[in-house]
Amino acid sequence: MKSDLRLPNPYPSSTNAARGFEKVILRLVKSGPERRAIEAGQVDAVMDTASGTAVLLPEAQRALIERKARFHQLSRLAYDWFWEQDDLYRFVSHTGAANGSSGIFDESIIGRTLRDPPFDSMSEADWGAHRRLLEWRAAVRDLELRCTDRAGEVRWVSINGEPTFDEQDQFKGYRGTMRDITLRKQLEALAQKPLRLACDTLDALAVQVCVLDAAGTVISANKPAGAFAAGSRSIGAVVREGANFLEVCDKARGSDRVDGVAIAAGIRQVIAGDSPLFHHEYVCNSPAGRSWFNLTVTAFSGDGAARVVVSRENVTERKRVERIPGDGATRVVVSRGNVAGHMDAEGEPAANRLLAALPRKDYRRLRAGLEPVTLTYGEVLYEPGDPIRHVYFPNNCVVSLLETLKEHEALEVGLVGREGMVGIPLALGTDVSSVRALVQGSGTAMRMESAHFHKAFKQCLPLQRELYRYANTKLSQARQSAACNRFHGVEARLARWLLMTRDRMGMNDFRLTQELLGSMLGVLRGAVTKAAGALQQRKLISYSRGNIRILDGNGLEAAACRCYQIARSLHS
Amino acid sequence: MRRKKTKRGASAPAVTTVVVMRLYIANSAPNSVRAVANLAAICEEHLKDNFKLEVIDVLEYPLRALADGILVTPSLAKVSPLPAAKIVGNLSDKKSVIHALGISESVE
Repeated sequence: MKSDLRLPNPYPSSTNAARGFEKVILRLVKSGPERRAIEAGQVDAVMDTASGTAVLLPEAQRALIERKARFHQLSRLAYDWFWEQDDLYRFVSHTGAANGSSGIFDESIIGRTLRDPPFDSMSEADWGAHRRLLEWRAAVRDLELRCTDRAGEVRWVSINGEPTFDEQDQFKGYRGTMRDITLRKQLEALAQKPLRLACDTLDALAVQVCVLDAAGTVISANKPAGAFAAGSRSIGAVVREGANFLEVCDKARGSDRVDGVAIAAGIRQVIAGDSPLFHHEYVCNSPAGRSWFNLTVTAFSGDGAARVVVSRENVTERKRVERIPGDGATRVVVSRGNVAGHMDAEGEPAANRLLAALPRKDYRRLRAGLEPVTLTYGEVLYEPGDPIRHVYFPNNCVVSLLETLKEHEALEVGLVGREGMVGIPLALGTDVSSVRALVQGSGTAMRMESAHFHKAFKQCLPLQRELYRYANTKLSQARQSAACNRFHGVEARLARWLLMTRDRMGMNDFRLTQELLGSMLGVLRGAVTKAAGALQQRKLISYSRGNIRILDGNGLEAAACRCYQIARSLHS
Repeated sequence: MRRKKTKRGASAPAVTTVVVMRLYIANSAPNSVRAVANLAAICEEHLKDNFKLEVIDVLEYPLRALADGILVTPSLAKVSPLPAAKIVGNLSDKKSVIHALGISESVE
């Protein structure tokens, strides 16, 4: 038998297979049917009871050798090297192109493992993991390793191997194949270059860019977006891959709520294909100060699936430049019909009348505990029963105090603007709000923590005086409006309410929906429509899609009930 | 010997009876390959799923063949239902195989 035919068992008696085979057969096979089968050429092997082995007939032996050689030839086409390792995973033999032209390996590899040179890409951890695999006697599949060939060039090989066992089932080592995949690796690296260039370009932009899938999940984000996510708590804080942008927008609370809802709606529109582009400008308050953002959402069909690109630019610098200095006038930035924010001088001292009424040195002492914030239309500062954590001194926003009876819509019982403070109960000895405080008109306010307020209130007599006076005014107003709500018509009350809002916001344009107006006045929406229609017909106001403009202030005062004059005289 | 007994006593088992067989072969030598193919065709045609076949490579497990009284490969041994039977050769004679397996009558 030829030496390269490695069958599971040696056949001692087959060495003289070709010659004198007849004799063997005659000795082994005596019964008729077997003999006939042999003569018919239908038999491959004969059992030798003496040695306990099978003896291949010459024909079968040749066929098996041929087959083995064919297998070798075919597998040589698929692989560059064959190798064998001992039970300590050291190379004990290698054959194939390794010796020839490609020249990665020579005899020096014998006795080495995959951890040793010329292999150089396995870290300690990789080798540990690989060793564990080998200890389990698992097959090695497509293990890709870097190595240095004899000329000092970097090469890559792919390794496949299987454990081998001896006859007693003892582990002998591994054997397998190796393939030179240097060319493939080089091509892969080449193909990734333009891609990496594009990624680097995106990362270098000042604009935050992220891609969302149809469900709103962030698929990828550039570096500025990632950095922003790490540094902010506002709506921007979502741009981490895998996070859901829509969910975070929907969940936005506090001053971000309105923007969150608007952004989520815009993104959904673009995803649904209803609109090719959505644009929104909004303000973020962070410990570092106020920032303005310009957010653009565009549709994008990357790999066939619906995707949107959200890009956001920090436009704070530009906004600061654009701000109109001097006259203290505020400008309204409108995006898609939503009031996104007011810009004014950053918490100028005199903006809130109550604070302005304080002597300068008292005000200066208070100033340390005051923090400018932007309050946005629709934001709830307190709910009934909530502990009061902050008091607010509105600069140019309007906060409405609402009584919420269980079985009814909310009813407005007070309005706080720049003449007052939200959180009066604190000055009167309770730290729980009995009403809902809802921001009616976006704008800025000065905020103070309740603990700080307590201390300041105790120490500062002028503040006490101002707040008591204000509280008394509020009480009178509440009595007044209780009577007004009972006796006066919707139209007159609407006129009064619009005027009060105007006085507190210091402007003639503001945004109010009919539902909200209804709940302010404690009437149904239809009644509001009717009353607003009547005022509009008299050219006193203009009203469209929730945006109200007062056209004729004096005319509106005439239309309002006398309560307006009384309330105003209380303040002045 | 066993073989003689089977030839005479071949009876027709119910077609649902599971036939248990062992086929002894020598790796992928020509006759062994042929025997496997022939037997597969017969089983497919006549036994459907009602058989169990174990293929034994005598080059790997020579002692197993010797213990089972096998002298040459390929050989097919019918283990159950009784009586046992043995067929020698590459199983190209379909008729005699069917007869030896005792499934001739149920086929016709």
